[in-house]
Amino acid sequence: MATFDSEKAAAIHRHLHSHLPSDPALRVKALESLVVERGLIAPETIDAWVEAYSEHIGPKRGARVVARAWLDDAFRARLLDNAASAIEEFGFQGNATGHLIAVENTDTTHNMVVCTLCSCYPFSLLGISPSWYRSAEYRARAVREPRKVLAEFGVELGDDIAVRVWDSTAELRYLVVPQRPAGTDGWDEDALAAIVTRNAMIGTERVLLAGAT
Amino acid sequence: MDGIHDLGGKEGFGPIPIGDDTPFAQAWEERMWALSRAGILPPGTTIDWFRHGVELLGPRDYLTWAYFNKWCTNHFMLQIDAGVSDMDEILTGRAKEPGPPAPVLSLDDVLEANRKANTDFSTRPAAAPRFAVGDSVTTRARMHSGHTRLPAYARAATGTVIAHHGAHLLADEGARGRHVGEHLYTVSFTAPELWGEGADPRDTVTLDLWENYLV
Repeated sequence: MATFDSEKAAAIHRHLHSHLPSDPALRVKALESLVVERGLIAPETIDAWVEAYSEHIGPKRGARVVARAWLDDAFRARLLDNAASAIEEFGFQGNATGHLIAVENTDTTHNMVVCTLCSCYPFSLLGISPSWYRSAEYRARAVREPRKVLAEFGVELGDDIAVRVWDSTAELRYLVVPQRPAGTDGWDEDALAAIVTRNAMIGTERVLLAGAT
Repeated sequence: MDGIHDLGGKEGFGPIPIGDDTPFAQAWEERMWALSRAGILPPGTTIDWFRHGVELLGPRDYLTWAYFNKWCTNHFMLQIDAGVSDMDEILTGRAKEPGPPAPVLSLDDVLEANRKANTDFSTRPAAAPRFAVGDSVTTRARMHSGHTRLPAYARAATGTVIAHHGAHLLADEGARGRHVGEHLYTVSFTAPELWGEGADPRDTVTLDLWENYLV
C-alpha cells in the first residue's frame, strides 16, 4: 500500500539514482519484465496499447471534432458548452478527457494550452503530446512570454489579438478550436479535418492553410 | 512543494525544441507509455501521488532525464514505497513471487478500456461555494511542502473567476491518499498582474484553482 510519505519517496529516489542502470531502455525493460512476471499485464496487451495509441488514438480525432464544429452549428454549441460530453458522439472520450473544455479562437483572441507543473494533455482526443510540449522550455516560457513562443512557431499576431494561455493545473483539459480558413467553402468534413493540425489544437499554430492537403 | 517541476515563468531557458515533434523519440518510450495505460500501479496509488513522486526526483535528474525515464523510475519508487518490489527485483527485472499470467487483451479490448478511462474527478461539495463567476479573487502567498497545483508564479496574485466547476477532488489531498472535494474555479489573471508592468496588457493566463488556493 502506498505510504504517501514525501520524505520516504525522495529517499527512495536517491537510492534508485545510485543503483539503476543509466540507460532508460534497460529500466523500462526491467519494469516490463517485472510486471509481466507478476501477472499484471500480458506482453501482447502492451503491444495492443502501443497499437491503440499509434494507429487509432491521435490528433486525427481532434481534427474530426473541429471539422464537425465548423460545419454544424448545433454541434459547435454542444462542444463549447460541454466538450467532454460532445466528443462522446464520436466515441473519442477516454484518458484525460473527462473534463474537456473547448476554447475557440476568434479574430481578436488566440488560445494556447500548456501544463507548467507536469505535462497534462487530452490524450484520448489528441494522442500523446509532442516532445516539445513536455519540454522545460515550453513549460517555463509559454505562460510568461507566449508571443515570443508563438513567434518561434511562426505565428504572427496582429496588434488587435489578445493571447489567452490556459495552464492545465487541475483535471480540466483544453482543446483549442482554430478558425476555419478562407477558401474552404463547400468542403466536406473529411477535407476540413485533413487541414486541422495538432499544433493548431494546442494553440501553437493559428492560420490553417486551405491548400495544405 | 517549491520543487524544480514548478517551471512556469522560470527564465533562462532557450528556444522551444520544436524539431522534437514526435510523441516518442525511442521505442522504449512508447513501451513505457503503453505500460502506464495498463494498471500496473501499486494498490492505493492516486494520480496525484504519482505526480508528486515525479516531483520528488532529484532536481538535476528532473531537468535532465527524458520524460518517460522519469515515469519509469517513478514506478520503481512507488513499488518500493508500497512494499510490492525490492531493489533486487527492480535491478534484475525478476519477480520473487511470480503470478499467474495476465489475460491477453485485444486491440478492441484496450480501446474500450481507454474509453472507460475518462475519469470523473467531480464530487459532491461539502459546503457552498465562496466565490462566483465575476468575483475578484486572490491566491495564497505561500503553500505547504506537499503536492499542490498552485504554481509559484500565480501566488499572491489577483484575478477574476471566469468559471465555477462545482467540487472536484483536491489534488493536494489526493497526494496524501485522501478524497476531499472542493470547489474548483477557472481564474483569469492579466499578464501584468503575474509578470509586472512590462508584460503585454492584452494577454491573460488562466488557471484552474481550488477554493483552498484562494484567500
